[in-house]
Amino acid sequence: MADRDLWDRWHAVADRFSDPRLTIAGREIRVLGREKTIILAVVIQLFVAAFAGFLVVGLVSLYDPGSVDGYQIDAAVTGDATNEMLAAIDDRPAIDGTRYATTSDAYADFQDGTVNAVFQTTRVDDRIQVVMTAPDGSIETTLVVSEGQEALRALERNLRAERADSLSNPPLPLPPDTGGNPYYDFTYTILLPLLLFLPVFISGSITVDSLTAEREQGTLELLRVAPVTMIDIVDGKSAAMIAIAPIQAVAWMGLLSLNGVAVANIGWLVALVVAVTAIVVALSVAVSLLAPDRRSAQLLFSVGILLFFAGATLLPGGPANTAARLAIDSATLSTRLVVLIYGGVGVAAVGAVRRLATRIDPNRL
Amino acid sequence: MRRIDRLRNRLATAGRRLRRIGRIARWELGQSTSSYNRRTLAVVAVLVVIVGSVGASTVALGVASPAPNTDIYRVGVAADSPYNAVIEDNAALTARQPDRTALATGEIDLLVGGVRQATAGPGPRSPTLLVEAADGQKGAAALTAFRSAVQSYNDRAMALESNQTAAYPVVVELQYLPQSTLGPAAPTDAGDLTDDGETESGGDEDNTGSDGTDTDATDPTTNGTVGEANGGDGGDTSDSPDSDADAPPVGDGNGGSLLDRALFGGATSGSPAEIQPPFPFGSLLLAFLFLVPMNFVIQSYGSSVLNERISRRGELLLVAPIERLDIVAGKTLPYAAIAIAVTVGIAAAIGGGVVSVFAVVPIALTFLAATFLGAMFARSFKELTFVTITITVFLTSYVFIPSIFTNVTPIALISPLTLVVMELQGEAVSLGSYLFSTGPFYTSAAVLFLLGTGVYREEDMFSQKPVPLKFLDALDARLSGVRSVGVLTALFLPFVFIAELLAIAVLFVLPIEVSIPLLLVVIAAVEEVAKSIHIFAGFESDRFDRSVPTALLLGAASGVGFFVAEKFTAVAQLVGLPDLQLGQAALQPAGIGIAPSTTLLLLAGPLVLHTVTAGISALGARKRLRWYLVSLVAATAIHAAYNLGVVTLYG
Repeated sequence: MADRDLWDRWHAVADRFSDPRLTIAGREIRVLGREKTIILAVVIQLFVAAFAGFLVVGLVSLYDPGSVDGYQIDAAVTGDATNEMLAAIDDRPAIDGTRYATTSDAYADFQDGTVNAVFQTTRVDDRIQVVMTAPDGSIETTLVVSEGQEALRALERNLRAERADSLSNPPLPLPPDTGGNPYYDFTYTILLPLLLFLPVFISGSITVDSLTAEREQGTLELLRVAPVTMIDIVDGKSAAMIAIAPIQAVAWMGLLSLNGVAVANIGWLVALVVAVTAIVVALSVAVSLLAPDRRSAQLLFSVGILLFFAGATLLPGGPANTAARLAIDSATLSTRLVVLIYGGVGVAAVGAVRRLATRIDPNRL
Repeated sequence: MRRIDRLRNRLATAGRRLRRIGRIARWELGQSTSSYNRRTLAVVAVLVVIVGSVGASTVALGVASPAPNTDIYRVGVAADSPYNAVIEDNAALTARQPDRTALATGEIDLLVGGVRQATAGPGPRSPTLLVEAADGQKGAAALTAFRSAVQSYNDRAMALESNQTAAYPVVVELQYLPQSTLGPAAPTDAGDLTDDGETESGGDEDNTGSDGTDTDATDPTTNGTVGEANGGDGGDTSDSPDSDADAPPVGDGNGGSLLDRALFGGATSGSPAEIQPPFPFGSLLLAFLFLVPMNFVIQSYGSSVLNERISRRGELLLVAPIERLDIVAGKTLPYAAIAIAVTVGIAAAIGGGVVSVFAVVPIALTFLAATFLGAMFARSFKELTFVTITITVFLTSYVFIPSIFTNVTPIALISPLTLVVMELQGEAVSLGSYLFSTGPFYTSAAVLFLLGTGVYREEDMFSQKPVPLKFLDALDARLSGVRSVGVLTALFLPFVFIAELLAIAVLFVLPIEVSIPLLLVVIAAVEEVAKSIHIFAGFESDRFDRSVPTALLLGAASGVGFFVAEKFTAVAQLVGLPDLQLGQAALQPAGIGIAPSTTLLLLAGPLVLHTVTAGISALGARKRLRWYLVSLVAATAIHAAYNLGVVTLYG
C-alpha cells in the first residue's frame, strides 16, 4: 500500500516537472541508441583517431631520427674538404663520421653496409661540392637523408660564418638543436580539432535526417492532435543533439590524456564545442524547415557546414585554431573572448531558429 | 546463316538493354536535378558568394589566419631583436615580452637570449643563439619550431645576397645506391634527375659545379652501361676506362624496380637547404582534391537509392520487364559519369594526366559500389548518413594515408592515390604497380555491386531488417549450389587482399618481433572469415541441409575456391612487396616469393590447409552463431600456426 502511495506521489512529482521537450529529447537519444548508429559513429571516430595516431607515430619515426632511440648513422667522409665535413658532422650527435683515404674504400664499405652514408667532398673555386650517397630502398633512407642534410647545413653555416664579411646580411645565429618533436603540434592542430568537431558535424547531420524524416513520413501532421508545438519539437531534438557532441568530445580528450597528450583548458574546450554545435544544429534545423525536401536539405547542410568551417577558419580565431591554442595551453584573453563570441552567436542562432519555428505551420510542411 | 542470325539476335538484345539502361539513366538524372530546385541552388550560390567575399576581404585586409597552428608557440624576445622578423614570418610563433618569470609560470615557451660566438675548441664552428625553453615537450617542440623558422628565414635572406658564392658555399648532390644487404637491386640514376631537380636560387652555380668535377658522376649513360657490363652490381667502377678511380658509382635507372624510382621525391641537388628527404607534401595535397567531390556524389546517389526503397517507387521498376542489373546500371550511370567528369576536370586543373584519371576512377567506383550496398541495407536516412560517413572515412583513410609514404616504402602502393602522387612528381608508373594498386578496387567494386544487385528484390528492398541480417541475405542471394560457395569465396579475395594490406600498413610501425606474429594471426582470421561467412549465411537461410557431409563438402569447395583465387596475389610480386619482411610474412604462406624447388610442397600445403580449416568452420556454422564463432577461432588458430611454421621455415 505504501509502495503504491510512493509510486503515485513520484508520478505526481514527475508530471509536474515533465516537459514535452525533455520527452522528445530523451526519445531522440533512445532512438539513436536503439539504431546503434551512435555506436557506429564512435567506432568511426576511433578509427580516425587510430589511423591519425599511426600517422603521427609513422611520421615521427620516419622523419625524425631523434625519436628512434639509439639509432646511429655511420658516415664515410672522403675528398679534399674532409676536415670541414667532419667538423660539421661533430655537431650532429646522431651521425658518426669516419675519414676514408680513398673513395673506392668508402664505397666498398657502403656496399657492405658498414657505413650508412658517404660524403664525397671536392673543392671547386671557393666552394665545397659534396656528393652524398644514401642507401636506396630501405626504411632508414629518410633518416639518413634528413640527418645528412642537417650535417650539410651545419657545414654551410660554418662556411657562411667564415665569410660573413662578404655578406651584406649575415645569417642570424641558430639556436642549438635539442631534438624536440617537430610533429608535436600535429596532435593539437589537426587531430584534436578533428576529434572535437567531427561529433559536431554528426549532430547536425542527424538533426537534418530526424526532422526531414518526420516531415516526409507525415508524422508532423499528428502535431495537430498532440499537446506539443513545433517549438517543443525543435527544442527537444536540438537539445538532444547539442548534448551528445560535448560528451563525445570529453571522451576523446580523456582518451588523448590517457595516451600522454596533455590537454589544457578542458572546460573552455567543452564550451567551444557546445557553442559550435549550437550554431551547426541551428543551421541544420533552419535548413530542414526551409528546404523543399530531404535531399535539398542534406545538400544545403553539407555545403553550409563546409562553408561555415572554411569561412570561420579564414577569420582570425577560427574554431580549429581556437581549439588548438586552448588545448596546447597558449590561449590568451582574446582566445577566450573568441569562445564567448561563438557562444553568443550560438545563442543568437538558436533564438533565430526558434522564431523561425513559430512561423512555420507544421501542416504546410 | 544460323550463326549470323544468332549474332544479330544477340546484338539486338544488347542494343535493347543499352537503350533501357540509357533510359533509366536519363530518368534518374532528371529526377535528381529536379529535386534540387532552383531556389535551393540559388541559396547555395548566395552562400558561396557571401563566404567567398568575406574570405577574400579578410585575406585582402591581412587578418586571415588559415593556418590551424597560428600563434601556438610564444617566444619571449626583446622589441629590438632581429629575431622579431623571424617570428613575424612564421605563423606558429608569436612574440611576447622577454620575462624570465613568465617562462617559469608557462606564460611563454621560449626565451631568446644572447649570442655565443664560435670557439676554437670542440663545439660548433658558427655562432649559436642561446635560448631557454620551458620544461616539458612543448618547450622542446617550440625550440625545434623556432630553430627551423630561423633556418628558413636565413635561407630567404641568402637568396637575396649579391655574392652568391659566399651565400651558398656548399653544393650538394644526393644519390641513392643499393647496399648489398638488400640484394641485387638495380642501381639508381642520380644524374638524370639532376636536370629536373629544383635549383631555383643556386641553379647556375650548381651547373657550373657539375661541369667542374663530377662529369663522370652525373653522366648516367657512360657509367650506367659500364656498371651493367660489370654484372649489374653497380659497385666499384674503378676498372672502367672512362671514369677516374675516385668517381662514385652511378647506375642506370631505367631497368630499376619501381621502388628505386619512387625514392626520388624531392630535389637531389643544390644547396643543402634544397635537398629534400623524400616527402611529397604538395603532390599529396593535390591528390586529396580528388577525394573531396566523391562525398557529394555518393550522398546524392545513396539517398536516391534509399528514396526508391522508402517511397516504394522501386516496385514499379521491378515489375517492368527490365533486368535488375540493367536497373542498377542505369541508376548508377549518371553518378559514375559525374564522378569521372569531375575527376577529369580536377586532373586537368592540377596537371595530372591519364594515369591520375585511371587511378582515381576505380576509387570512385568503389565509393559508389559501397554506397549502393549501404543504401540497400540501411533502414532509414539516418542510418544511411552513418553508412555514408563510414564509407567516406574508411576509404579516404585507406587511400590517402598510405600515399604519404609514397617515397618510403612499396606498401604505399596499396593505395591508387600513390600513383597520382607519383605522376604529379613526374615519375613513371609501371603496369604492374597499376594492377597491384587498382586491381583490388576494380574487383571489390564489382563484387559489391553484385551483392547489392542480389538483394535488389522486393523481399529485401521493402522490408525492415537489421543490417547484419540483410548482409547475410545478400550473401545467401548469391548462393545456389556447392560450386557457388567456391566462387563466392574467390570473389571475396579482393577484400581479403585489402584487409591484409591494411593490416601490413597499420602494423608496419611496430617492431618486427611484435608485428609479424600479430600479422599472421590477423591474416589467418581474415581469411577464415572470408571462407566461411557465406556458408554460415547459407545454413541460416536453410539453403543447405545441416548435415555433417554437406558442411564438409561446402568447406572443401570454399577452400578450393580460395586456393585458386589466392594465386592471383602473385601480382604483389610485380612491385617488390615480398622484399619487405612484413610482405614476406603476409605472402609466403600462399607460396609466393619462394624458389621454385620448394613450390611443389607449398602448392599442396595451402590447398590442404584451406580445405581443412574451411571444413572446421563450416561444421560450426551448421549450428548457431556461438558455435560458428568457436569453430572460427579454432580454424584461425590452426591457420596461424601453419603460417608461422611456413614463415620460420622459409623466412
